[in-house]
Amino acid sequence: MKASTRTEGDVVVISLSGKLMGGPDAESVRQLIRESLEAGKKEMIIDIGDVSWVNSTGLGILIASHVTVSNAGGTLKLSRVSKRISQIFMVTKLHTVFETHESIEEALQSFTG
Amino acid sequence: MAERLPPSKIVLEIPSRLEWLDLVDRMATGIAEQMAFSEEDANSVANSVLEAATNAIQHGHQYNPAHPVGIVFEVAPDVLRVKVHDKGPGFDVGKVLNANPTGPESLLEPRGRGIFIMKSLMDEVVFEMEAGKGCTAVLTKHHPARRAAL
Repeated sequence: MKASTRTEGDVVVISLSGKLMGGPDAESVRQLIRESLEAGKKEMIIDIGDVSWVNSTGLGILIASHVTVSNAGGTLKLSRVSKRISQIFMVTKLHTVFETHESIEEALQSFTG
Repeated sequence: MAERLPPSKIVLEIPSRLEWLDLVDRMATGIAEQMAFSEEDANSVANSVLEAATNAIQHGHQYNPAHPVGIVFEVAPDVLRVKVHDKGPGFDVGKVLNANPTGPESLLEPRGRGIFIMKSLMDEVVFEMEAGKGCTAVLTKHHPARRAAL
């Protein structure tokens, strides 16, 4: 998995690509979340449009990110969730946990709108 | 349109490292597509085989690359059966099979969804365990259209 961040106004956009499957992936994402919170940024988007698959360990990374940001008083949203990953969200009911958007732009607008 | 495949067995063995999961995914996806499963069913197969292989690497072999995970795809005209084998001690099947991670008390737990995902997406999930021989997850997906045509 590869991860990068950029800031759009007050919102941090974390873009993930590759496979989200645990191991070192967890620490990479955790560090980006921690750095954003330490910088006072509490509104975040994780874009997973370029993630080809996620296993249950990878789901745990997304859940831990959601919990960390929420506990800090922030909001974490997801963008560009593929059909394949949506399937897992539906069966695990995680679609009730994560606010998802079709595009990064739509997710950004949801923070300002 | 893909032709009906004769019964076939395709065997893969990977070291117990997460890096090899993508190869497992590509094989599962490729075989499901070759069998002309719908996109949704192909996703179900691939997602479930990934979970079984992840469990074998993490829990069965605890990432020990010296212990390979065996994956056998048994292809029949109307059904795909995938067997994922590790040499680990196994687990309490009754306890795990009945776990429901979708309740409000466990929805934010970072772990404990793998077998639930397999059960939700496949037609049948069975775990075969034998002392000293390890654990085999047997995942079955029927092909509805082909079954009807038989």
